[in-house]
Amino acid sequence: MMSWPFRIIGFLLWYAKEFITANLSVTAEVLRPRGRSKMKPAIVAVPAASRSDSEWTLISSLITLTPGTLTITISKEHGILYVHGMFVESREQLVGEIQEMEDRMLHAARRAPGDLTRPAELPVVRPLEETGESR
Amino acid sequence: MELTDLADIVGLVFIFLGIATIIISAIGLFKLPDLYLRASAVGTSAGLGVASIVLGALLMDFSGTNLIKAIIAIIAQLLTSAVGSMAIARAGYLNNALPAPITHIDELRLTRRETSGGR
Repeated sequence: MMSWPFRIIGFLLWYAKEFITANLSVTAEVLRPRGRSKMKPAIVAVPAASRSDSEWTLISSLITLTPGTLTITISKEHGILYVHGMFVESREQLVGEIQEMEDRMLHAARRAPGDLTRPAELPVVRPLEETGESR
Repeated sequence: MELTDLADIVGLVFIFLGIATIIISAIGLFKLPDLYLRASAVGTSAGLGVASIVLGALLMDFSGTNLIKAIIAIIAQLLTSAVGSMAIARAGYLNNALPAPITHIDELRLTRRETSGGR
């Protein structure tokens, strides 16, 4: 295990690489003619291991900053990030990408890795009733 | 060729790369089918586009204070554009801007209160 400052630098370098490849793939998609489009958008609920407010802010900003993925909302109570992806082959593929980024982010952001568990299954989130709504 | 000439040329290349990124993402704004995909496409101009223009300007006029200004400008730009995209996407979803039909999975819809007619 590398010491903390080196983990931060390592994460920044990894993120810079991801950022540039994501930019290239979105730019290529825009320039591709409509008939050969590889776009497969999806909105996926990703179980997350973030705990504190700053970790939630950091991971959702990092996801949105990478072109092609966009955090629409989070549910801190259920530990879920709702992520819109531009090139999603399957649910598992996007969940894997986001969780890999979150694991790397948490290893860089925390001095000790700590609790990295995620909710095992997606909870049923019911819409708020018409009455007594607070958003 | 002197070193400043070289820095000028590399700086110009970065500035033109940034302009190209912004133009392509503007094309994406017209071409892509829904709000969320468009917000993703604009991310390329707000992130890489602006960052490489700032980097190019820095290379053309390099000094210690300009380096600090450029770093602050890039970090502030990245943070605010991310927060802005998320706010737009969330507001859009809450106001019934449904994703385009090619969106093949939508797990956020399960949490949605079905509204008749929409706004």
